[in-house]
Amino acid sequence: MKGEDQVDVFEQRLNRRQALQAGAGAALAAYGLSACGGSSSSSGEEVFVKPEIDGDLLIFNWAQYMDPAIKKSFAEEYGVEVNEVNFDNMEAMMIKIRQGGGPYDLIFPTGEYVERLRNEGLLASFDREQLKNAQEVDAFYDNPSYDPESKHTLPYTYYTTGICWRDDQVQGMTGSWNDLTNPDGEGRMFILDDFQEAIGQANLLNGFELNTEDPEEIEQSKETLLEQKEFARGFSTNSVQNLVAGSASIHQAWNGDVVNTRNQVDNPDVFRYETCKEGVPVGSDTMAIPNNARSPGTALMFIDWVLQPDNAARNVSWNGYPQPVAGAKETFQELVKTEPSIDVKLDDLDDQAMEYGFESQEGRELWNETFTEVKAA
Amino acid sequence: MQAGFWNRFLVIPGLWLLALFALPVFLVLGLSFGNVDEFGVAVYGSPFDPAGLDNYKDAFDPVYVPSLIRSVTYALATTAICLAIGYPIAYYIARFGGRWKYVLIAALVMPFFVNYLVRTYAWVALLADDGLVNNAIVDLGLASDGIKMINTPFAVIGGLVYGYLIFMILPVFAALERMDPSVIEAGKDLYGSKLQTFLHVTLPQTKHGIMAGSVLVFLPTVGDFVSASLLGGPDTYMVGNLIQDQFFAANNWPFGAALTVIMMAFLLVWMIGYLRTVARDARAAV
Repeated sequence: MKGEDQVDVFEQRLNRRQALQAGAGAALAAYGLSACGGSSSSSGEEVFVKPEIDGDLLIFNWAQYMDPAIKKSFAEEYGVEVNEVNFDNMEAMMIKIRQGGGPYDLIFPTGEYVERLRNEGLLASFDREQLKNAQEVDAFYDNPSYDPESKHTLPYTYYTTGICWRDDQVQGMTGSWNDLTNPDGEGRMFILDDFQEAIGQANLLNGFELNTEDPEEIEQSKETLLEQKEFARGFSTNSVQNLVAGSASIHQAWNGDVVNTRNQVDNPDVFRYETCKEGVPVGSDTMAIPNNARSPGTALMFIDWVLQPDNAARNVSWNGYPQPVAGAKETFQELVKTEPSIDVKLDDLDDQAMEYGFESQEGRELWNETFTEVKAA
Repeated sequence: MQAGFWNRFLVIPGLWLLALFALPVFLVLGLSFGNVDEFGVAVYGSPFDPAGLDNYKDAFDPVYVPSLIRSVTYALATTAICLAIGYPIAYYIARFGGRWKYVLIAALVMPFFVNYLVRTYAWVALLADDGLVNNAIVDLGLASDGIKMINTPFAVIGGLVYGYLIFMILPVFAALERMDPSVIEAGKDLYGSKLQTFLHVTLPQTKHGIMAGSVLVFLPTVGDFVSASLLGGPDTYMVGNLIQDQFFAANNWPFGAALTVIMMAFLLVWMIGYLRTVARDARAAV
């Protein structure tokens, strides 16, 4: 009876030898997996990068943060593909890099995150002098605190955090973080989905230091955030998208976002931006190359391309953020003439108290937990 | 001899299960007893470490209860709606599809070849304040300002229903297909009305399809985070979002792992309940 035989085959218990075979296979598979895990955390040799085309480029950046024309012209000039993947917040970017994700060739960390990536040996190094346009970079970015020898980063943009709103829907803005809960924006207000920006503005509103790690103060800011959440439509860092799509009347946002939004709508005049009297968080975004990049040379060439005066000028008028390089400065001043609120000076960035950062890992965990609790409530 | 030869092939599924199921589960377990070092990097731990169970204690903090209740509520609502929509569709196709039956099923499955995330993004574009649906509502004069649809619990549940509907339709369809159509005729011959025949003949016969469909919809829905993060608002935060944020925003993998373990245990209870019912019915049927 053939049918019965077949049934037997599958019901027979595995004998010891077969079980061992299966076990050995599993061990092998486990070894393979752990090997994958091992290669990703690249605390190995720091790669030194030379500016030369060595493959296609994969950029890891915020959404809507670079004029697509810059990528396109680079791709045409050098005959490589330029692809971009987006992250929603710095923490997510950091985690992907730590895991060896991508592997991405070019990232845009803030100063604070450059320091963290550098401490973990996740950034490749290069010599600025080898780039054509690096000498056009403002001296402010020579040996910054987060990159003491200027060998891991070049600056991309700098920014302020404030509030973007539509003056056809919202009246009576006062230049305060209280404006997030302006009654006209109820149910159409967004808070940035970034634990530092969200808690930071609440700290300022309560009259605390931007970066306070005092548990009682953070508890009070949590209450503030919970009240604001009642008013909010969501937590999101896709501010331009939310404003353009018309879901937002009030949006915690970065200064360039208002320009970028205006560039994409039929009614640009209604979009406004303000910084707040309780305090204006500032920061710098940089360009850096992960140590495990597949095409680090192309990435460095691309950094040079972004810093090239014409490209920088074009990019500034597209995304609305100042770039600390020749060419871009004049363009930004033109933008400031039409919208003074977006102005930010490099001197403003000297004030470390208005830049996000933590004294301790406990502080970072406290902020993270607090933001999680606000979102889960 | 022959039996021994064929048994060797069990190594392959054995490997598969160990490498892609058992091992990851152990990794998650190990992580859930761990903590985060001073650089923010996750460290594995064991339940016997002095702080080994801290993540589990944190997970039962009352602040996380609302997300759990919300997830289960959304999942139950989704399952009920999927059943209400999916059953008639499966019934219609199985009973009246004729030679188009499998074409219709294929047509239903087709959209699911597109990534769930991408399909959910499409809903964002459709339901946005200035989206296609709202433009149509305004143009038709149904509401002058349109209706706020996106960023509401309804949008989240809608996204979940759309995302998992097929997992209800297919098992129910299979159950209806397996059913002998002559029992329906028998029901009618015994002067049962259409409704009575359906309630007393068709429905009990397809009970297992409904249960399988409900489990297949419920389990992934409880842990879903895509729908809530794209279509939801500040008050639609689900357990899936909580877990996802621990891994990709709050950088607390051990806590995320502990939440995952609790969630798996919770879902296992439902799964075991389902399997026991099926096994009991199978024994009763013999």
